[in-house]
Amino acid sequence: MMEWIQNHPLALGGLVVWAAGLLWLMPGSHVKVSRPVVPGLILSAVGIVLLCLSVGKPQPEFADEVLFWLFGGGSLICGVLMITSRNPAYGALWFALATLCTCGLFLLRSAPFLAAATVIVYAGAVIVTFLFVIMLAQQSGAVAYDQKSSHSVIAILASFVLLGGIAMAIQSQGEQPEPISADQAPAGNPLSIATAEQPVGQLKGLGKSLFGDYLFAVELAGTLLLIASVGAIAIAPRREQGTL
Amino acid sequence: MSETTQQLILWLIPVAPLLSAVITGLFGPGILRYRSHLPCWAALAVSFVCSLILLLKILPGVETGALTNAVENAATAENTSLQLADKPEVIATGYQWLHVGSISVDVQLRADSMTAIMLSMVTGVSLLVAMFGSGYMHHDPGYPRFFAAVSLFVFSMCMLVLAGSFLMLFVFWEAVGLCSYLLIGFWFQKPSAAAAAKKAFVVNRIGDFGLIMGMFLIWQTSHNDAYPFLSLNFSDIFGNPELLQQIAAAQPERVKLICLCLFLGAMGKSAQFPLQVWLPDAMEGPTPVSALIHAATMVTAGVYLVARCTPLFVLAPDAQLVVTGVGATTAAISALIGLTQTDLKRVLAYSTVSQLGFMFMALGCGAAGPALVTPAVTAGMFHLFTHAYFKALLFLAAGSVMHAMGDVIDMNRFSGLRKALPITHWTFLFGAAALAGVPLMAGFWSKDDILAVLGEASQSEKYGSFFSIIRYVAMGTAALTAFYTFRAYFKTFWGPEKFPEEAGHHPHDASLVMAIPLGVLAACSVLVGLAFGPTHMFAGTLQRIQGLTLIDPSQQHLHWGVMAVSAVIAAVGIGGAWFFYVANPKLPGTIAGALKPFYAASTGKFYLDEIFTGLIVIPLYLTAKICVLFDRFVIDGIVDAFGAVPKMLSAIPRHLHSGIVNNYAGVMWAGVVAAVVLVLSIF
Amino acid sequence: MTIESQRFLLVGAGLFILGAIGFLTRRNLIMIILSSELMLHGVALTMVTFGRMHNSNEGQAFTIFTLTVAACEAGLALALVLTLYRSNHSLDIQLWSELREPDLPSPIDADELDSTVRPENPYGGIPKLTPAGRIPTEAGKPASNVSGGKSSTA
Repeated sequence: MMEWIQNHPLALGGLVVWAAGLLWLMPGSHVKVSRPVVPGLILSAVGIVLLCLSVGKPQPEFADEVLFWLFGGGSLICGVLMITSRNPAYGALWFALATLCTCGLFLLRSAPFLAAATVIVYAGAVIVTFLFVIMLAQQSGAVAYDQKSSHSVIAILASFVLLGGIAMAIQSQGEQPEPISADQAPAGNPLSIATAEQPVGQLKGLGKSLFGDYLFAVELAGTLLLIASVGAIAIAPRREQGTL
Repeated sequence: MSETTQQLILWLIPVAPLLSAVITGLFGPGILRYRSHLPCWAALAVSFVCSLILLLKILPGVETGALTNAVENAATAENTSLQLADKPEVIATGYQWLHVGSISVDVQLRADSMTAIMLSMVTGVSLLVAMFGSGYMHHDPGYPRFFAAVSLFVFSMCMLVLAGSFLMLFVFWEAVGLCSYLLIGFWFQKPSAAAAAKKAFVVNRIGDFGLIMGMFLIWQTSHNDAYPFLSLNFSDIFGNPELLQQIAAAQPERVKLICLCLFLGAMGKSAQFPLQVWLPDAMEGPTPVSALIHAATMVTAGVYLVARCTPLFVLAPDAQLVVTGVGATTAAISALIGLTQTDLKRVLAYSTVSQLGFMFMALGCGAAGPALVTPAVTAGMFHLFTHAYFKALLFLAAGSVMHAMGDVIDMNRFSGLRKALPITHWTFLFGAAALAGVPLMAGFWSKDDILAVLGEASQSEKYGSFFSIIRYVAMGTAALTAFYTFRAYFKTFWGPEKFPEEAGHHPHDASLVMAIPLGVLAACSVLVGLAFGPTHMFAGTLQRIQGLTLIDPSQQHLHWGVMAVSAVIAAVGIGGAWFFYVANPKLPGTIAGALKPFYAASTGKFYLDEIFTGLIVIPLYLTAKICVLFDRFVIDGIVDAFGAVPKMLSAIPRHLHSGIVNNYAGVMWAGVVAAVVLVLSIF
Repeated sequence: MTIESQRFLLVGAGLFILGAIGFLTRRNLIMIILSSELMLHGVALTMVTFGRMHNSNEGQAFTIFTLTVAACEAGLALALVLTLYRSNHSLDIQLWSELREPDLPSPIDADELDSTVRPENPYGGIPKLTPAGRIPTEAGKPASNVSGGKSSTA
């Protein structure tokens, strides 16, 4: 561990700064006058940047670099703002923004179909439903329990230990050319392997993988959706005792 | 008669009452109701007829060659041609009940002469009592239950005498105890009846302990580094007299211990001193039950057991002396208590205990010499046989009195009933005469046999003086018996006519269904003695069992001298009773006043119950109290200490159990973090 | 893996732990569910990155399944949240702390309680199974209502 810290001082610094920013932003366990957002935001952004820089400097095209910083940094900053927001409606909106940024990252990782699907499912359906529920539930405005958090210090420290562990595990792999050769790839699902004609993320290849290798799983997932919708319809409405 | 038919008849004897018990138990309350006596009557009649067939037709016809279970192997080997058996046996094996290791217990019926005599007596008396009971229990709400229990009892009793091994005997020994419990506590809503049932059950446990210890000792008896028995079958244990004699010569203490243990069992069941306390209390049950179970049949199971184990008792003269001694003590004490009781049924109960004592007195006479064993057992069993009839008769007559008097049984509250209840009066008189030993009545012959055997035993060199004392005790007890029996008779049926209020205006005599059994039993009390006593028919049948030798009837003679003596004794007793309770009704009170302590001791049953309470119950109670304290403060303390350990250990971690969902998720998350950190081996 | 992939994995991990922190610290039921969705985003990004590293479509296929399950989860969770909200007129998760040790204090601060009027028995509106069997009664008395509690239907 010490070796990793010596080799990547930026990473450790980034983690510490980011954690400090989160602690600043997070509501305490008692209702207080809320702190200004900007210092915490700046600390978090600095921490995120330091962490990402600690990986090293790749030589991609300029556009890719800009888009990564935009979407990656954006998604993390939006996540930070979401979990620290004192108003769940704003939290939901920040979540929507984080989702959009994640979809951008999907695009960068050559998953355009996934990006589109996520935007439609999350931003289009899930977030709207959430907002709907929030509006149903919190017509009276701000409530006390949104101004508070429980065990925020312990939770943040433990989670950042985990993040540090993951970062260390990622960075200790060293640099290798991609794609990783076929003998290291998981075998047994030939339809899922991308070829030169059909690189990763092309809809045709993804369709082959889904409806070839994972046909039964697709059917199962469809059944699951059906059952979940039945369950939600059964649970949600107000009904008399014994009519369920 | 083919072997199959024989076995079928043998099975019918116990199975018919069992079927009746099941039918009455299942359908009695719902369907049969006040017709519940019908299955019982039918089953008992079937059993009785089968028993008679067994006694008169099957056993005399058993051939030696046909014996599946040979008595003596040598004898069978020689008698390849079929001869009439000297000691006939019929065996019917049902199925194997247990097979564990070397233990193999078959459900097996084994009938020999003694069994057949017992069976015909048991089923005959039961049939009469069941008839009487249907009149006596008329319109009792427990009518079906009564007949179910009686049927069950008859089944158990038949199985007890039919048992071919100690284990089966023990099982049904307990079963008759259970039936006795059920029937004593028949009116369980009466606290006294419930207490009496409990008392009978608990006191019998002491005897059962002895019986089962005796069984274990027989099982474990070793001889020449081998275990010769390892079986509880009568035929295995008694079938080899030479082996038994060798064992007795090598380990006399062992055989004595076995006999004493078995006798302890007999003492409990047959209410011998000091375990006799339960029988008088058992009179809380319905009177037919008292007649059947607590006079005629179940209480004689102990006598039957000792007689059945004669081959063992012969080898332990000391144990036989104990048998005689306990019998004499019981007979004398019970007779003395019986003198002053005013409860008619209790007088009869004490006389039952006393007569059982007579039987044991006779059974023990074999100690005086091997030649006396057979006459002794014969005399004891003969008294058992005759006693069953006249004591059942007396109880049923007492029941008839009770029925007429509105369930009042205190002799001070009624008198002069001979005109109001003529049938009851005459039948009671027959029973009382038989019990008192009036010449030619049943009790005369059997008691005469016992006195004769005791007289012969007192001539022996070894134990002559002991048996002389016993003989005089027996004679005195016989006189007392005659006295208190006729005291009860005179107090009940003579003197000024007096009815208790409960009786109503016109006490009615026994109805037909009650009168018939009374008449039959009265006839039996006369005829049984006359038919079997002087003719030696009983002896000739009974002596054809293992352990006894058949005495040639031509060598047997009537003991004229003894007869004269016992006739005089009976006359003295009856005359005394007449003198005190008819001629001079004031005199008993005067004497009771003069001999106050003795009178008080007798009415108070010699304070035996109180002595037992002081010696056993109170110490046990105190011990139990101490145990309770120990349990509460020591054992509970230890248990609580163990319980406190988890409480202490969890005092801090239980705060994790806060009910806050975030905390639960946090603990889970901590686990995830720890696992990932460990897997990545960061530290 | 390239440095490019490492950066994406790091962002995925960051999203994941941000979701976890939100899940652990927030007391609003809806925020808790949103946080879990954020964790799913992190996982999805990681899977997509891995798929590309291995030149395989499996990562994206799995992400689609994750998306399906997430949609189901969101629907059911919102239905449950609605039921809970109707029972207690609040989205505070700490109101549902009946499982705590009986002598521990309630996690709700005193100053929060006066804000809303809450029903006496928050469990009354939750659907129950139809009662079966009957409670033994003393002889002569009519059998009382089986469920024991009051059958309140808000």
